[in-house]
Amino acid sequence: MADLDSKTPGAARRRGWLGNWWQRVGTLRDVPTQLEGMLLSLACIVGVLVIWWIITVGDGDHRLVDAYTLPSPAATFASFPLLWERGLSLGALTSLSRVFGGFLMAAAIGVPLGLISGSYLRVGAFFKPVSIFGRNVPIAALIPLTLIWFGTADVQKVMFIFLAAVAFIHFDSSSAARAVPDRFLETAYTLGARRNWTKGLRLCVIIALAYSMVASLGWSLLQEHVRLAADVKSAGFWLRALLGFALGIGLWFPLLSHQVLRKVVVPMAMPDVVNSLRLLFGLAFGYIMLAEVINPKHGLGALIITSQRQGPREHIYLCLLIIALLAWGIDRFILMIQRQAFPYLKYGQD
Amino acid sequence: MARIDIPAGSAPCEIAPVAANGTLRRIVEFDRVSKTYLPGTRKEFTAIRDVTFHVEDKPDVGEFIGMLGPSGCGKSTVLRLIAGLAPHFPATSGTVLVDGVPAEGPGPDRGFVFQDYANFPNRTVLDNVAFGLECAHVPQKERLERAWEWLGKVGLNAKNDAYKFPYQLSGGMNQRVAIARTLILGPRIILMDEPFGALDPGTRQNMQDLLVALWKELEATVFFVTHDVGEAVFLADRLYIFSPSPGSIVQQMAITPPDRKSVEMQAVPAFQQSVREVRHLLDQAGRVSPTAPTPA
Ligand SMILES: Nc1ncnc2c1ncn2[C@@H]1O[C@H](COP(=O)(O)OP(=O)(O)OP(=O)(O)O)[C@@H](O)[C@H]1O
Ligand SMILES: [Mg+2]
Repeated sequence: MADLDSKTPGAARRRGWLGNWWQRVGTLRDVPTQLEGMLLSLACIVGVLVIWWIITVGDGDHRLVDAYTLPSPAATFASFPLLWERGLSLGALTSLSRVFGGFLMAAAIGVPLGLISGSYLRVGAFFKPVSIFGRNVPIAALIPLTLIWFGTADVQKVMFIFLAAVAFIHFDSSSAARAVPDRFLETAYTLGARRNWTKGLRLCVIIALAYSMVASLGWSLLQEHVRLAADVKSAGFWLRALLGFALGIGLWFPLLSHQVLRKVVVPMAMPDVVNSLRLLFGLAFGYIMLAEVINPKHGLGALIITSQRQGPREHIYLCLLIIALLAWGIDRFILMIQRQAFPYLKYGQD
Repeated sequence: MARIDIPAGSAPCEIAPVAANGTLRRIVEFDRVSKTYLPGTRKEFTAIRDVTFHVEDKPDVGEFIGMLGPSGCGKSTVLRLIAGLAPHFPATSGTVLVDGVPAEGPGPDRGFVFQDYANFPNRTVLDNVAFGLECAHVPQKERLERAWEWLGKVGLNAKNDAYKFPYQLSGGMNQRVAIARTLILGPRIILMDEPFGALDPGTRQNMQDLLVALWKELEATVFFVTHDVGEAVFLADRLYIFSPSPGSIVQQMAITPPDRKSVEMQAVPAFQQSVREVRHLLDQAGRVSPTAPTPA
């Protein structure tokens, strides 16, 4: 009977809104309204909280899961002020700046080198072994290595993120440059795009100065027990400045000295590059916890590990939540920038 | 010397032999040009064999050369050899001369219009048209003014469309942008590879009329590849007919240039007769069915 019903024209009305809605749930790719989507997400959160509450309600032996294994939601959220007092904001800021530092360095090298590798294919062939090695080395194994190389200061965490991310950024940027269809390069050539040494050199001297600053000043600031005033007088400082400058020139001159790359390939590869950076940043944010848990010194990871050792354990859950929220917020922020920067693309991916 | 065949029977659309005038400069010259891919391997493949022709640079008027032939016979290869685009360029043997010197890599003196327009998706219409001037370091104000002017010339509404991105345009509008972007540089040679192949018949006829109008003031030599016999007969002064792969030019003929709009031309009996005749020649040269329907 029900089947017959659904074929008659009046069926939709007779089924009522819940019936209609249920049918739409079962329709492939039927897009929910924004409000509907939000309500559904809210339902999921409420569901998790309810389950959490049910298995932790009551006290002592009456609980399904004991308080040691899983604190109740109420107890967890009630411990938030204490977490704040333990320096939550400073910890979050510390972790974030470590990821930012390492990731920016990785991007500053990986992106231009990747774009070069995807455009000058012989350079790409040369770097291929390094790229393969970097993407397949077990990330966790880099922690003991970075501890040996860089000690236990901030610089170790930053370099860990750098090493973990740079090969992936290089690979994705290279693919992005390679994915620009030949047709656009051919068009650019027939419209007169060509090499332009002088313009390329002018642009990349400016960029190279920035690299030089980071290599000299930035590096000093990362070190523990190094006073800037004294460091500026050291030969190492100026050697780093020089090396940074050379690196900047080497990475950007090949890209900026050719109009086809500067005007066509690089801008057209940029949406893919930024998208990959956004996704990789999310991963890097996860990796920093690894480094901070193994060698705890400030940061959210350190908060988690001390909470596990000395309590309160509620803080572990809070920290996990905050990390996820923070990562999500940053992701949304970059996505927003992406939409602004590339208005000619339609971004839908989450 | 180019081989010139006059089709049998009287020429309804005044198909006449091209006067071989040796004193004129040759803008493009092919001498026994062949292109073989992967020579010496099992996959060796000859795309074109012994292609020989030349086009003279007549003062004030360029020639409009239509290129017809079965699919895969090497029409694109010939265009890309003139443009200097790899992997078709350089030729395996023979000489390709452009303006009397061996062809080089691509440059703005040889404009290329592709079937898929290839407008830069990250640039607005105006910036797409100004691209070539930008590469040549024309100051911003001047190049945008000239691009704006060219939008009008190719029949776009500059006020409406100048700041749109290519994805917001129809196929016909995109092809207008691509044509403006090429012609703004005033190339001596314009290479068009099935430029209207992806357009609907109505748009296609409009574009043909546009091209005729623009070409008259440009004085450039145009090489125009098409699969549409009607389009070739309408647009061209001269037709090159290719044999199947490995392609070579089996027939050249002169054709009366268009004197009216594409739609009106289709109705002229003499024009229809010419189209039938060319189709017959194509059929002899290759495998194109004389009854094959053509959109235009
Ligand atoms: N890079 C390449 N390597 C090997 N063979 C190629 C290559 N490019 C083209 N060819 C071959 O050369 C022949 C001529 O190609 P071309 O594109 O010039 O033909 P065409 O006349 O333009 O065909 P169509 O009308 O279908 O566009 C084809 O058979 C093609 O398969
Ligand atoms: Mg072709």
